[in-house]
Amino acid sequence: MTADTDTPGPPDHPATDLDEVVHQRVRLGILAIAHEARRVEFGYLRIHLDLTAGNLSKHLTVLETAGLVDIEKGYEGKRARTWVTLTTAGNTALAEEIGRLKALIARVEITTEDQRS
Amino acid sequence: MDAGRAGADLRYQAGAGPKTITERFTPADLAGRRCRSNHASHELGLSQIGLLWKPIAMTADSVSAGDDPRLLLSEVRTLAGRVRRDQRLTWVALLVLAAVTFVAIPFDWLFMKVHCDGSGCMFARRGMLYYWPPALLLAYAAIALSYVRAARARGLGARVLPYAITGAATVVVFTAAYTAAAAYFPTHPPFGGGPLPFWWIVLDRLIAPWGLIGLALLVLARLERNVALLLFTLGYLALVLLVLPTTDGMDLPGWASPSFMSGTNIQLRLSMTPSQLITGAVLLAAGIAFATARRSRR
Repeated sequence: MTADTDTPGPPDHPATDLDEVVHQRVRLGILAIAHEARRVEFGYLRIHLDLTAGNLSKHLTVLETAGLVDIEKGYEGKRARTWVTLTTAGNTALAEEIGRLKALIARVEITTEDQRS
Repeated sequence: MDAGRAGADLRYQAGAGPKTITERFTPADLAGRRCRSNHASHELGLSQIGLLWKPIAMTADSVSAGDDPRLLLSEVRTLAGRVRRDQRLTWVALLVLAAVTFVAIPFDWLFMKVHCDGSGCMFARRGMLYYWPPALLLAYAAIALSYVRAARARGLGARVLPYAITGAATVVVFTAAYTAAAAYFPTHPPFGGGPLPFWWIVLDRLIAPWGLIGLALLVLARLERNVALLLFTLGYLALVLLVLPTTDGMDLPGWASPSFMSGTNIQLRLSMTPSQLITGAVLLAAGIAFATARRSRR
């Protein structure tokens, strides 16, 4: 028996709509920071998400490939700077993910209350 | 969650914990395990809707996909709040506005026109029109530039533009209202020259520079989602709209002028100063308080 055969969720369950690209802690964090900051530098993300540069690069590549962020590389003086900006699709994806998470929480609360009663 | 992978060697992660399981488990197996998390009952609920059994074979998933929606939402809010705090430069805005308010005092004094006759005195504060529009525009430009530079140095974008635009719009409102009033009211005094209703006085104070500074600060508080700034601004607006006679002048009881300032002309000019001093001092004190709070947080 595998997990897949045992977890056939109902088709309209909020969990079935989760976007695998966005529904990941680090990538969700990147999108949240970029949304709030309008524009965020690589170093800020690395420090505040507590990641290595390589790890963060991989996550950014996933998001850029999915069209959720734009990455702009340049220099300020002699210092290389990489800026990350949320695209319109990224903005929508973030809003939808947060909506789904809220729906899931509501669903879980109902389920838990049903079990107790 | 990711259906259609029967027979594959999937890796599953239980809850938000660090343990990765490489064997094949059914949700029933895992739901039966003793949950070590503090959110035991909550995770049990999540497991039953299949949320905790998420394959983490996604590209670059070196960090666990902590799937508890509460934790994810909480992290998103924490990160957003941190970004907002890092973008703030409230103390600079308040100090610049305080400086602009203090510098206005000599302009108001020097360019005020006073005409007295037997029936009383009329005065026109021409200095306000000469000084405030360019001063406020420069102040908002300086504040916006400071925000952008500070945010950029921290590796962030700035969200100050709507504040600067609001500030510029208030300058237009002030200039238009004062120009119209200066042209119209000398020949058509409001309410026939009789006593003015309180709402008219409050409106007059609202479109004065000190009131408009408060309105723009409300926008800044909204942009920064800064509750402390919102509370300060509400108190500030109450002060400049309801308490201080910013547009009429203030005669303090027992406030004896030196002999060289005994003329009506000078008394009138002098009466405009206390309100402006108090307004500037309030902005200055708030700027220092925000700067101190920021430094102590860091």
